[in-house]
Amino acid sequence: MSLSSSLSKDSILQAFDHFREELDDYNDRRERLIKASRDVTNISKKTIFLMFRIIGESDSHDPSVAKVAAQRGREKLREVQDMYAKMRSELEGDRYWRHQRQVSPGLQEYIEALSFAHFLEYGSLITFRQVQDTLSEPTNGKPHFPLSVSDYLLGVSDLMGELMRHAISGISKRGGRTKASEICAFVRNCKADFESFTPFIHDLRKKQSVTTQSLTKIEDATYAIVVRGSEYDLPQEMLDDIVAQSISTLTDGTFTDEQRQSKRHRSDSE
Amino acid sequence: MDHENFESIREMIDYETQLREKIKDQVTELDKKTRIVVGMLNRIHSTPPNDVPVLMENVQPVLFGCQAVTAVLAELIPPNEFWRWKDMWSNSLRTAVFAAALVEYLLYRRLIVIDRVSEILGIKQDWRDRISLPPEDYLHGLINLVNELSRLAVNAVTMGNFDEPIKISLFVKDLYAGFSMLNLKNDTLRRRFDSLKYDMKKIEEVVYDVSLRRLTSASVPAQ
Repeated sequence: MSLSSSLSKDSILQAFDHFREELDDYNDRRERLIKASRDVTNISKKTIFLMFRIIGESDSHDPSVAKVAAQRGREKLREVQDMYAKMRSELEGDRYWRHQRQVSPGLQEYIEALSFAHFLEYGSLITFRQVQDTLSEPTNGKPHFPLSVSDYLLGVSDLMGELMRHAISGISKRGGRTKASEICAFVRNCKADFESFTPFIHDLRKKQSVTTQSLTKIEDATYAIVVRGSEYDLPQEMLDDIVAQSISTLTDGTFTDEQRQSKRHRSDSE
Repeated sequence: MDHENFESIREMIDYETQLREKIKDQVTELDKKTRIVVGMLNRIHSTPPNDVPVLMENVQPVLFGCQAVTAVLAELIPPNEFWRWKDMWSNSLRTAVFAAALVEYLLYRRLIVIDRVSEILGIKQDWRDRISLPPEDYLHGLINLVNELSRLAVNAVTMGNFDEPIKISLFVKDLYAGFSMLNLKNDTLRRRFDSLKYDMKKIEEVVYDVSLRRLTSASVPAQ
């Protein structure tokens, strides 16, 4: 009995030795991917700030300024693309799906930044294909890893919040009101399109309610301008003063808790 | 969103939804089988030791029935997407591992190796990227086994089988030594491993009771 028991103990320990290696390998990779994802998030957020700064420096909605911002943003995002290229072996084969939960957070931030750059330049929503193309080998077009519909939709949903900031902070510039109503229509359309996907994508409903808040803010801002403008028939400069006032209340005072939370890390990295 | 983009996303979602439904049907099938097996295995607590091998032989074919399900799953899962879908059947698979391990233990008094479990469940090596038995599911199944054996230690004594707790105790200690070698993260496996000590304690108490009262065959020559 004691002999057979010690024999079986040895084989058990041997088997578990092997499991330990496998589990360690998995856990180590997991840690590396979490770190990488954090770096991606960091660069993506800085990229968005960079683009806002460039736009903010100009006092009109000149398309060429937006284009410069988009290009500078895209340049910076190349750092992220290089990181994903390097992560390729970590995400090869079935590893991507095993580690999707570690990859997603950074990836969605990247998509948010990328889609903002795309919007600034083309005024449209970046397509799934276009996002996947930026995450592929430039030479043969082979994806570093499969992009999931869920990451794409959640990433572009976050764009709506950026567009709200873009619309409101630029509303007092020359052409700002036209721009704001363009953005308003764009966000409204996207929100409607995303709505049909909510039953299938986890977390999309939450993003939709944030988008609704963003949309309401843009709507309220454009409304205020139309109403006041029509009522007093004021000259342009005075209208701008009134608008400036409404901007300060909308951007400082009306963040909801949910939005404040999601924006908190942003102000941390500022 | 431009029309083409919208449509392609809708297609991808439709495809995923349909696939999910198909997988779910298979998981239901697997659940049915494992539930029958678990029901049969419940009888070990009231079956005399001599009848256990027959009971185990009756369990085996039902367990082999899982092979039909894993074969269909291997067909359904797209290449490299094993980890994308595996959460859907992890629980059922762990129950199957538990059943296979219990049968092996009661028939041969040894720990079933992971490859043997895969074999019993019909999971082929070539299917690795679509369906496989990952160590964590195997380990979860083994923890289920210890939970069950701690119950058996008690019930065997009730049936007058006083040696069973001793055997179980030795086996579970070896298994515990194995688990202690792992660097477990703070996940469910870790929590379940932590709970093993209660099973060990229960088994030890039974061993203590039967030894102290000289009920085991091992203690007879000592008299």
